[in-house]
Amino acid sequence: MATEIAFELPYTEWNWRIGVYIAMIGIAGGAYLTGYVADLLSARSNASEHGRIAKYGYLVGLLGLAIGPPVLLSHLATPFRAMLIPLTMTNLGSWMAIGAYMLLGFGLGSFLMFVWVAFGASRPHSPTVAEGSEGTLAADGGRDVASDGGAEDGPARAATGGTTGGIRGILERLGLVDRLDSLADYTRPSEPIRLALGGVFAIFAAGVLVYSAMAYGSGATERVALWDKTFLVPVQIFGGLGAGLAVSVGLTAVADRSVSPTIQNYALGAAGLLAATLAAVLATVFLLPEQVPAAEPAVQNLLTTHATLFVGVVVIAGLIVPILLSVGTVVGQRRDAVSATAAATSYAIAGLLVIAGKVALALAYLLAAEFTPIPLPV
Amino acid sequence: MSTHQSDGGTARVIPNWESCIDCGACEVACQRTWDLPPESDRIQVVALAHGTEDETNKPMQCYNCAEAPCVEVCPTDALRFRDNGTVRVDAGMCIGCHYCGVGCPFGAPQYPDAEVPEAEEASPLGARGNGLMDKCTTCEPRQEQGLEPACSSECPTDALLFGTPDELSEKLEEDHVSTPFSDEAARIVFGDDADEIMGE
Repeated sequence: MATEIAFELPYTEWNWRIGVYIAMIGIAGGAYLTGYVADLLSARSNASEHGRIAKYGYLVGLLGLAIGPPVLLSHLATPFRAMLIPLTMTNLGSWMAIGAYMLLGFGLGSFLMFVWVAFGASRPHSPTVAEGSEGTLAADGGRDVASDGGAEDGPARAATGGTTGGIRGILERLGLVDRLDSLADYTRPSEPIRLALGGVFAIFAAGVLVYSAMAYGSGATERVALWDKTFLVPVQIFGGLGAGLAVSVGLTAVADRSVSPTIQNYALGAAGLLAATLAAVLATVFLLPEQVPAAEPAVQNLLTTHATLFVGVVVIAGLIVPILLSVGTVVGQRRDAVSATAAATSYAIAGLLVIAGKVALALAYLLAAEFTPIPLPV
Repeated sequence: MSTHQSDGGTARVIPNWESCIDCGACEVACQRTWDLPPESDRIQVVALAHGTEDETNKPMQCYNCAEAPCVEVCPTDALRFRDNGTVRVDAGMCIGCHYCGVGCPFGAPQYPDAEVPEAEEASPLGARGNGLMDKCTTCEPRQEQGLEPACSSECPTDALLFGTPDELSEKLEEDHVSTPFSDEAARIVFGDDADEIMGE
């Protein structure tokens, strides 16, 4: 007679900290990659507007790494030992070790790329004082650098938008602006080399995005059917890209008060990626139990026990509402029915909802998961 | 009785569930031998078919799998095969990430929070507390003294069998019992020796 062992649930091994970690590195990887695409596009046209998305994409990548990995470390029994990555992460057959190296490369890359595009006198995409004096940026929803006091404070401040508001305002209060300006100008390579290095770092970011799916892992035994990689990888890749871009757009709208047509296009792009995420999530719900019958109980858990979290927060609040908000706001702007302030607020709310949805998705995948028991004859 | 790897392969403890009377002597023997706290689960009597009329309680512990999933997923190589084929955790390398706990099909990895006094024989035989991974060590120091693991030695009904695959196969045949493993589980535990144990 075959019987089954009743094991504890996976959530007893990995709690909410793992969910926050996976969500944050996914957003970070997606934000960097979409930011890098914007960085490349800025060489073709409308540099400053694409540059804003690039800058905030790199910043979101950095912030995601500032939150996610420390939360993971707090889950570990020996966090300081784990931080000695070259000494400890030696099993490159383990996705956790692979992910650690990906995060190292990605962390370095997002820091350098952010510093290079956001600081220094000769940063790329920077609106010139001449542009500012012509009011083109102000008309485009951005800051008029010339009237922002930048021109009087030296070339770096002029080039990066003066000292008030946004990232510089915060860093100015921390006394870090001058150092970062100097660091950026001292280390920044030529533009082709910067973009090439950004491409190398993008490989690490893509690796982190894939790792955000593979981190849900149990090795060759694949004991958790809900974490089937055929379904999980698309969810995490589209989810990371969509969430990362949506957050970058929201941050750009709030910090730079920019809701220009270029930013609107990025908002539509984020909505498209979130729609792809929604499709991948729905495919998991409807197709995974057919193809992997062992996943049926976990999918039912998503739809019953954890329905508020999964259906309410993930699907409705974290995907459908941000999609509708983004598309509706863009349409409204293009019909002159939505003010710039309302549009910025809308993009920011969409970004916040997407973050909540991404964290909720990671938590739902942990909470609803069940180990697939090995039938044992008794 | 084999005490170390011989030509017959890795010596393991496996249960003969048909003889188990759920007395818990194996748990007590393990804890007493290694000065472990009562909450230690290096060997644990667990419920099978929980909530059904077939529910029964049987002992489970680390089987030192030949195809050990825990070794595969451990990011820091804290879990390694020793020369004798058994799986050991290096407390100095473990970071307590629980990857092995998610990977093991038998629920063997434990992460006790309680700090346990270090036994002289502890190193390198387990983490024994502080949230690091801990598991059955197959009582290697006892084996070096020519003794069986404490659990199998003290089991009153011989429900825990110890030996190499050859020896286990013989014992199972003598007792006219089967292993508690399905084909899938046997492949993980015994690797290339699975067919021999399972009687082809």
